[in-house]
Amino acid sequence: MKRILFLLFTLILTGLFGVVVWMDTAREWTGYQRQFFHSLTRAERKGLAGGIHQVALEDLRRIDRCTTCHVAIDKPQLALAEQPFTAHPGTYLESHPPEQFGCTVCHGGQGLATDTKAAHGEVKHWEEPLLRGPLIQSSCYKCHGDVREIEPHAPRLVQGMTSYKQLGCAGCHTVNGFGQNVSVDLSDMGEKPWQLLDFTFVHGEERLSQWVEQHFQEPRRVTPGFRAQELPPGEEEIYPTFMPNYGLNEEQARALTVYMLSLKSQHLPAAYVHPPAPQEPEPVYASSVEAGKAVFQKFGCAGCHGLDGVGGRRSWNAWLGDEAPSLVPVAHYYDRQTLKEFIRNGRQPVPRSNPARPTPPLYMPAWKDRIPDAQIDQLVDYVLSLGEPLPGSPPANGAPQAAGGNP
Amino acid sequence: MADKDASPAVLQWFKKSKLWKSIFRHDFSDTPRTRLQRVFGNVFLHLHPVRTPKDALKVTYTWGMGGLSFYVFLLLVVTGILLMFYYRPTTIHAFQDMKDLAYAVTLGGFLRNMHRWAAHLMVVVVILHMVRVFLTGAYKPPREYNWAVGVILLVLTLFLSYTGYLLPWDQLALWAVTVGAQMAANTPVIGNEGPFRLPFVTTSNDARFGLIGGTMVGDSTLIRFYVLHCVAVPFLFCVFLCVHLWRVRKDGFSKQTGEKVDVWPHLVSREFLAALLVTIILFVWSMALPAPLEGIANLNVTPNPSKAPWYFLGLQELLVYFDPWIAGVALPGLIVAGLMAIPYVDTNPKGIGVYPAMGWKRIGPLRLWHPTERPFAVTVFMLGVVLWFALIFIGYYCRGPNWEWYMPGELWSHRRVTKLTLKNLPNFWGALLMLCYFLEGTPMPKAIKARLAAARGPNAPARISAAFHMGLGVVMAIALLLPLTTAPDAEYPLRSRYTTLFEALGHAPNAPFMSWLYRTVEALGPALGTGLVVACILALGGALGFLGLKFATFKDRMYDELGPVKYSLVMGLFLMMMGVLGKLALRLLFGMKYLITFPALSFNI
Repeated sequence: MKRILFLLFTLILTGLFGVVVWMDTAREWTGYQRQFFHSLTRAERKGLAGGIHQVALEDLRRIDRCTTCHVAIDKPQLALAEQPFTAHPGTYLESHPPEQFGCTVCHGGQGLATDTKAAHGEVKHWEEPLLRGPLIQSSCYKCHGDVREIEPHAPRLVQGMTSYKQLGCAGCHTVNGFGQNVSVDLSDMGEKPWQLLDFTFVHGEERLSQWVEQHFQEPRRVTPGFRAQELPPGEEEIYPTFMPNYGLNEEQARALTVYMLSLKSQHLPAAYVHPPAPQEPEPVYASSVEAGKAVFQKFGCAGCHGLDGVGGRRSWNAWLGDEAPSLVPVAHYYDRQTLKEFIRNGRQPVPRSNPARPTPPLYMPAWKDRIPDAQIDQLVDYVLSLGEPLPGSPPANGAPQAAGGNP
Repeated sequence: MADKDASPAVLQWFKKSKLWKSIFRHDFSDTPRTRLQRVFGNVFLHLHPVRTPKDALKVTYTWGMGGLSFYVFLLLVVTGILLMFYYRPTTIHAFQDMKDLAYAVTLGGFLRNMHRWAAHLMVVVVILHMVRVFLTGAYKPPREYNWAVGVILLVLTLFLSYTGYLLPWDQLALWAVTVGAQMAANTPVIGNEGPFRLPFVTTSNDARFGLIGGTMVGDSTLIRFYVLHCVAVPFLFCVFLCVHLWRVRKDGFSKQTGEKVDVWPHLVSREFLAALLVTIILFVWSMALPAPLEGIANLNVTPNPSKAPWYFLGLQELLVYFDPWIAGVALPGLIVAGLMAIPYVDTNPKGIGVYPAMGWKRIGPLRLWHPTERPFAVTVFMLGVVLWFALIFIGYYCRGPNWEWYMPGELWSHRRVTKLTLKNLPNFWGALLMLCYFLEGTPMPKAIKARLAAARGPNAPARISAAFHMGLGVVMAIALLLPLTTAPDAEYPLRSRYTTLFEALGHAPNAPFMSWLYRTVEALGPALGTGLVVACILALGGALGFLGLKFATFKDRMYDELGPVKYSLVMGLFLMMMGVLGKLALRLLFGMKYLITFPALSFNI
């Protein structure tokens, strides 16, 4: 009996060891390499080595083993039509030699891994998944400080940056020191750990890009807060995000997502970085109203007060019965001095319409430390020019008046 | 002599050569003489006796647990040494090396899986070995000392496993070690956050600092844990292991029945087969399941929940009910001390070398399966083991984000918010409750019984004992319910909505008994309500007193057998263990947080 068991166990263990060795030698990449080498003639095969290929990038602190499977990525003469044997499209590799840049610094993914799913970073516990589609354009901004240089290659990135300025995001958010601090600083949005985000209402995979894109499209679905009935008795309700819904279509949301993902605080070695373009001189405007409009654009007033100040965005305050901050009627209620002081000092917190509920999170911030005084004057001119004065009311851009005439 | 050697001539010639003879001192024929020579002529086998009783070889007696603990340790040493070739204990390399092992090193992933799973297996096997030794009474004289050495080996096993947990430098590692290190910070006297902290103890010289080599887990922790894991603890482990094995040999095996048989081949072959079987299991396990590896360690991102390694999860679960200095330091210390004390306080000489006989017993409507031999020892020990694993189970499977309760398999939600209303008993009443609880362990020695019987008649001892236990029970019930129903809520003295503890807990969903009582008292009105509270006090007090009284005779007998010192040790440890359950009940039924609290000293019970 014992002899049989001894024999049996030894046989099983030997067999298992064989299986382990076989599993180890028959990894996914060996199959790809075999497939690739079979497609080559003997002459083509010359000089090509099998095994794990890797690029060790000391400066970037990365090791990329992507070329283990993507064997022909820099050999267009050998490349095949199907993945992973294609050559790199375009002429990017000429300006970004792989031995200096590797792959993952642009494409994302897990350079150390050697099986497909893990290498593409599309597994749990890997923060940088492969950047598919236009998302890859977010990597350009790591080094190319001046995006206009590369606009033909990164149209979505430029579109996202433009939208960011146009929609007035800077009125609430800061990026690299410019913008208001009503809401979160976005300077390192592109490397925000996904564990810190709530994916309960996000469709699809738990990825930062998913969260950001869906939050752009429907902010209140992704961050709905807590209603009183969801909380234990006695707890104050938590409002949903006060980011307005800008009615972005999928393309605009994707472009903004690309821009958000490009915002990283990581420092690349100076040799890799192209400095941003020098600041352009301020254009000369025909009138102070024109100049004021530019100020309105630059500092992101449109974020809440709408494009051209005509329609206030419906913020959470508006939903609660607070003001929808359209600027058209401003001329009827404010004189120059009051309006200027109002912009300078802001109004915080906004008075509550319902004292039983928490303070609304959105408020008019103080601008005196951010907009130079002369520009505030121009801004006041612009805002007062927006509304048609009512018959009999004082002229909107007239001389400063006593505050008594206002409600 | 053996038959004529049938092997080829070359081999025969070789066997006669000087080279062969210098290595092998005996031939390999199966004779009694060579059987003996094989064991005592071999450095690896000579820890065995030459002959051993046949019954000791039965698999169902030892389950091979001791030998397997040793074998799995050897396996861990071998895989560990191989892993060390590929590992650099620095924060910028460690995690990358894990990835290299998984993706580039030949058999690297398999090696790491095997090391990881074998470590888990070793903890399990060592615990099971301890349970087996306890159940078969193998710790009793003359093996008391070896039991204590075994407990030290258990502690070292856990510490080996814990130090190894950090080395992959992923999120799992970082936060599990942070949880453990935080417990060290709560050590009484020498921990920065512990009770009775010495005046000069700060974050940069307390017990936590000593453990992790800094104020937060980082490079210095990694090198510290690396040295502990690869050199220091294995060295200590080997020292104690030598003593342990040597003493098994010297003190004799616990099973001494049956005729004696040769260790070679009977025991050695069994050991070999068991080792083969475990290796096969570990091979399959390592092929099927990769060792966990999460994202790279990041001090800025705390996973919610952060869990300790599973063998410490019971203690982490206890953090719900106790302050860290109790759950993380005092209780583990008591468990280890209690385990070591077992052979010295258990003076019952019976039950060596056999599993305790079990029988059925009726208690009221209940039919209990219980040990008929060594009933107290076996029941209490097994209760402790079951409690330990039940807490681990709860911590592992039933706790989600914010340490909220989820059923196993239920989906976690980061949006679930539960508000707990917990209240402290006023210190006086809490102290009274604890005092009465521990006084329930008081025995009535024979001498006092005799004197009482002489002075007050033959029934006097029984009557006094009944009065004593019932009285303690009622005082405990009063100390619990009276302040809960009458004391003001100290946390919100001025808030009109909650004015008394009773009202506060009356609205608390996590104090089912108190909220039921509150609602019923509200419905009944003041007179009937007071009556109900009094009835509750009497019922609870009666129940507690009855429980004490039920064990009165047993306590008295145990006291007479053990004497005052051993008795107080046993009873104290037993009451503390049951006290853990009591605190659980107080929290879950009555919504109570602390019995005694001195926030200025960070001393809370």
